[in-house]
Amino acid sequence: MAGASEADAQLVEPNTTETDAVAGVAVGLSAVLFALAVAAMFERVSLTGSLFGVQTVTLLGGLLTALGVAVIAFGAGSRLGYVKTTPDPSAGLIAGIGAAVPWVVVGGAVASQTLGLGTTVGAVAGIATGGVAFALTVLPREDLGSTLPLGSLLALTGLVFLTGVIGPTWVWELGWAQQAAITAEFLIPVATLFTTLYGGWASAKAYGGFGARGRHMGAYVLVYLNALSIVAFLFILVAFVVVQGIPGLLNGAEIGLGTGPQTTILGISVTLPVSVPFVMNGVALFNDFQGVLPAIVGTVWLVAGAVALAVPLGVGAAVFLTEYADRGRFTQVVEVATNGLWSTPSIVFGLFGFAFLIPRFGNGKSLLSGMITLGFMLLPLVVITSREAMLSVPDEYRDASAALGVSKWQTIRSVVLPAALPGVVTGVILGVGRIAGETAPILLTMAGGTFVPGSQTVDVIGGFQFTASPPFVANPALLEATSALPYQLYALISAGVGASSNVGNADEFRWATALVLLIVVLSFYAIGIATRYYFRRRLTHT
Amino acid sequence: MSENTTQQTQTASTDDRSPTDDRSPTDDRSPTTTAGETVEQTREEWTEYEFRGETKMAVEDLDVHYGDDHALKGVSMEIPEKSVTALIGPSGCGKSTYLRCLNRMNDRVSSARIDGSVTLDGEEIYQDGVNLVELRKRVGMVFQSPNPFPKSIRENIAYGPKKHGDLDTGLLARLLNRSDADERDELVERCLRDAALWDEVSDRLDDNALGLSGGQQQRLCIARCLSVDPEVILMDEPASALDPIATAKIEDLIDDLSEHYTVVIVTHNMQQAARISDQTAVFLTGGELVEYGDTDQVFEDPHSERVEDYITGKFG
Ligand SMILES: Nc1ncnc2c1ncn2[C@@H]1O[C@H](COP(=O)(O)OP(=O)(O)O)[C@@H](O)[C@H]1O
Ligand SMILES: [Mg+2]
Repeated sequence: MAGASEADAQLVEPNTTETDAVAGVAVGLSAVLFALAVAAMFERVSLTGSLFGVQTVTLLGGLLTALGVAVIAFGAGSRLGYVKTTPDPSAGLIAGIGAAVPWVVVGGAVASQTLGLGTTVGAVAGIATGGVAFALTVLPREDLGSTLPLGSLLALTGLVFLTGVIGPTWVWELGWAQQAAITAEFLIPVATLFTTLYGGWASAKAYGGFGARGRHMGAYVLVYLNALSIVAFLFILVAFVVVQGIPGLLNGAEIGLGTGPQTTILGISVTLPVSVPFVMNGVALFNDFQGVLPAIVGTVWLVAGAVALAVPLGVGAAVFLTEYADRGRFTQVVEVATNGLWSTPSIVFGLFGFAFLIPRFGNGKSLLSGMITLGFMLLPLVVITSREAMLSVPDEYRDASAALGVSKWQTIRSVVLPAALPGVVTGVILGVGRIAGETAPILLTMAGGTFVPGSQTVDVIGGFQFTASPPFVANPALLEATSALPYQLYALISAGVGASSNVGNADEFRWATALVLLIVVLSFYAIGIATRYYFRRRLTHT
Repeated sequence: MSENTTQQTQTASTDDRSPTDDRSPTDDRSPTTTAGETVEQTREEWTEYEFRGETKMAVEDLDVHYGDDHALKGVSMEIPEKSVTALIGPSGCGKSTYLRCLNRMNDRVSSARIDGSVTLDGEEIYQDGVNLVELRKRVGMVFQSPNPFPKSIRENIAYGPKKHGDLDTGLLARLLNRSDADERDELVERCLRDAALWDEVSDRLDDNALGLSGGQQQRLCIARCLSVDPEVILMDEPASALDPIATAKIEDLIDDLSEHYTVVIVTHNMQQAARISDQTAVFLTGGELVEYGDTDQVFEDPHSERVEDYITGKFG
């Protein structure tokens, strides 16, 4: 095969050429646009304002148009032979459907709304436009098919923004009874986001020179943008709460020797060098700054109590089910029951606590009732994940241990449980994430008031008392009603404006509470992940 | 296979067969099973093996059923002390099952039913009141694929003695100044030396055992098995997952071990069996022990035609 055709792909791709660079810039441009659109969606970038001295909408429109033109230019250049690529005969059905969907929307919307031709004509026009886009994608060679329809879509959207047909103040009244409307604030970011995804896809294909390599690049960029947007959403959510919550949290905060409250650590009285009243005070009439300390302490004890109850019970049950019980009807029933319990709505658990636990613990809401209720909620997940973790411990370990004459229980304790621990901890992490934020069960079983005075901060450790008669220990602190952060947040919001004078700026107070809740839950996560890391390391590094 | 070659091998085998071996007269072309095995009647004397020295374990009329599956049929054999006994045979013929009966690991399989008698130094191990911990301490086992615990090399070896209470290195013992840490380290070193692993791991006893190579892991498992001071070591294809160099090391090791221990090894590698064992037992399809005797005799002059076919690679 000496005279291999020139269209054959080369084994070693030549170094980056100018055309590659153009396609690369197009991919980068779509990433920037994507980020801008996400930011605009969450109002981190104002649509009415301007960026780099240009109106935001104009900037978005300009970039979109540029991207569209670049994509089309690349496709056309490749088709006319100016750019060396290795396209397939057709872009394929999936690309065709992908290109048809946005064009159906555009065609339908323009015909029915902009031209005012009515729904039926709109539908017909939409399908017709989509059909044309489909045909233009599937029929020509891949380089043209995967760039022309998508590039035009980008350019059209960009021009609509540029020319101000859809400006920052644009509204589309849907005319429904609910007075729904699509505003520019929503439409512009969403439209940018979607068209940018298409633009990134098309330009990535172009960057890869179409063909198998191009498709690989296209998929790669799509997957990457997707993953990025998940991270971005999470980041923005957290950033949103942090930005809103910081002022309230730092209200009256001071750093410096002797500024903080006095505490006793290991019998030595120390004055903390920082003072953050919001997390160190309760609510009281004469406080300079109000805070949520009782709720923080309540949440921490609540979670600690629930974990202390659920983990031994759950791991014990899992040990029994995996190591001792014969696999059969009984284990299946238990499996179904645990799965069912895990999907039981939390309010049902709350009602159980309300009707069953409260009458037994002094007829009042109490921390103990809350702990037990949440412990029961956590239990099924601990059972499920521990069981899973123990089942995945290889039988070879058990055989090896048995062959050394080691008893079953000792084998479980020294080999099976250590190997299963990382999995167990994973389950507990997931479960704690759920129960730490639960509101409904707490509302019914343990919550006190909306604004909790600092004097109601539970002191579980200091609350233990020894008594002369059985059971010899008593802990009144466990039997008091106390608050927890999610409940407090709910109470603050539902208390409305009237009560807000208590705490100064009520809005700040709420956001700060939300931020503290987030921090507390994330700290539990961090502890869990560190624990898991520790146990996992012990298994593989010792 | 062509008719021609079959004929030839048979003629050849008839020639070097001892005259006392009388086979059925119409033996020109024995009927064969679907697996290619010749049908023949097993004779009791083929499994009678006379040896000098003490009998370590004796198995009498051992039958094993897994549910309805009759996996071992009336096996009887005596295993001499301080020697290497190889068990060979095609896969699925019950070698592992037989081996697991010798330390009652089959008790762990719920569907298994075992009838017959197995004695260790003359004491029946299938009777009420047998202490499984003691039995398995005296009859250790090494498995097909290396299975060290996900712990450090040191802990892997100290595991058994610790659990049996022979070593105490716990927190309490350390606090009370009664820790056996020195004893433990001696034990670890001795076992690793006996398993020919010491030189390779002496400077990283605290590393995780899973970081060792396959061959090292298997020798660690042998060392772990030695740690509880067994008398008999059962090995189920211990080298089948290893490369030739690691295999050679294990083989040398087995040779050394047979000076002090009674080794019973399952292998599907016939050269290996011929190299390392003193006596060989051949199991064939259906869970029968067909021939048992001195390794040289079994490989060079087998009584059974099926064993000969198996050894020469006609099936298996
Ligand atoms: N745990 C078990 N449960 C049911 N049947 C088994 C089990 N172990 C082995 N068997 C059956 O017993 C027979 C012998 O198996 P095995 O002793 O593993 O043979 P080998 O080790 O010679 O390959 C096979 O038919 C196998 O299917
Ligand atoms: Mg086997």
